[in-house]
Amino acid sequence: MSERRRRIAPFVVLGVAAVLGVLFVVLAQSDTSRNDNVSSFLIGKPAPAATGTTLDGEPFDLSRRKGSWVVLNFFDPSCRPCVHEHPELVTFHAEQQTLADGAELYTVINRGSDADVQAFFDSNGGGWPVVKDPTGAISVDFGVAQVPETWIVDPNGIVRQRIAGEVTATFLSSYLQQLREQGL
Amino acid sequence: MASIGWKRFKQQWFAWALLGVVTGLLLVVGVTHDSGPRTPEERVEEISKRLACPICDGESVFESRNNASASIRTEIKAQVAAGERSNDDIIAFIEQRYGAQVLLVPRASGLDALVWALPVAVFVCAAAGLAVAFSRWRRAVDTVPTADDRALVDAALDAEDRR
Repeated sequence: MSERRRRIAPFVVLGVAAVLGVLFVVLAQSDTSRNDNVSSFLIGKPAPAATGTTLDGEPFDLSRRKGSWVVLNFFDPSCRPCVHEHPELVTFHAEQQTLADGAELYTVINRGSDADVQAFFDSNGGGWPVVKDPTGAISVDFGVAQVPETWIVDPNGIVRQRIAGEVTATFLSSYLQQLREQGL
Repeated sequence: MASIGWKRFKQQWFAWALLGVVTGLLLVVGVTHDSGPRTPEERVEEISKRLACPICDGESVFESRNNASASIRTEIKAQVAAGERSNDDIIAFIEQRYGAQVLLVPRASGLDALVWALPVAVFVCAAAGLAVAFSRWRRAVDTVPTADDRALVDAALDAEDRR
């Protein structure tokens, strides 16, 4: 190796090492964990305007639910985890109805015919309102890509929690109680 | 002694410079050219092609047929029809809700900027390396033989003649 090359070599090695170092930092900072799914810019902010009609033909406006804890469950009757989760929501709803400040539960659907969804609720239980979201506007406003997904909105209309995937009645009730105790 | 190619290049430098300027101008025009007002359908298509389907790999919102992408397309249509937001604003709206992973074209800021900056840096380094290499080759061609070189060649030719 010539003297000149010997002098240049450390600089070349340093340059390559710097590029590799930058790539390492970039890759190390990228978060591929599924937990990232539960974060949302909406947490701690006013819930998006969500309006629609229920399966019963009643108007729904989330902003008019202020004063109550609201739980929104994004659902699709053809999704297995949603079907698996459903009995837990039935239990949760029954529990909340026994409380003075029990949460209002709403299911949001933007897939499946009204008849299919109604048939599902008729055979699997669930006496809470089902809000139709045929254009997916409510789903997009909340950034929901996959169902089931559950959101908790406090009585001031502030989004407090996003839960991606299935929930259990125990988890949802205890988490809601924690939020109540934390105060508004 | 300069090579014939280098001499020719020096004689024609103006033409080369002009060619470089014209090429640069055409590139700038090509990159920044705006074809004027677009139809709402074209805007929806352009925006949805810049967004990745949030629940599938390798598909844009434009291509994907799943429910989430269909909802996003409907939202884009509604926002384009409202006419209140630019394409970039609509993309920012979707990114805010679904995260930066829905961007098919990385941003030119923060760490994402490396995606744009690194290839340029590599290109500049490679071009500089080639320029240095060419310059050395040219110097090697231009080298005038020393008396020792001539003596060496003469001796070799003499030896060849004696055989």
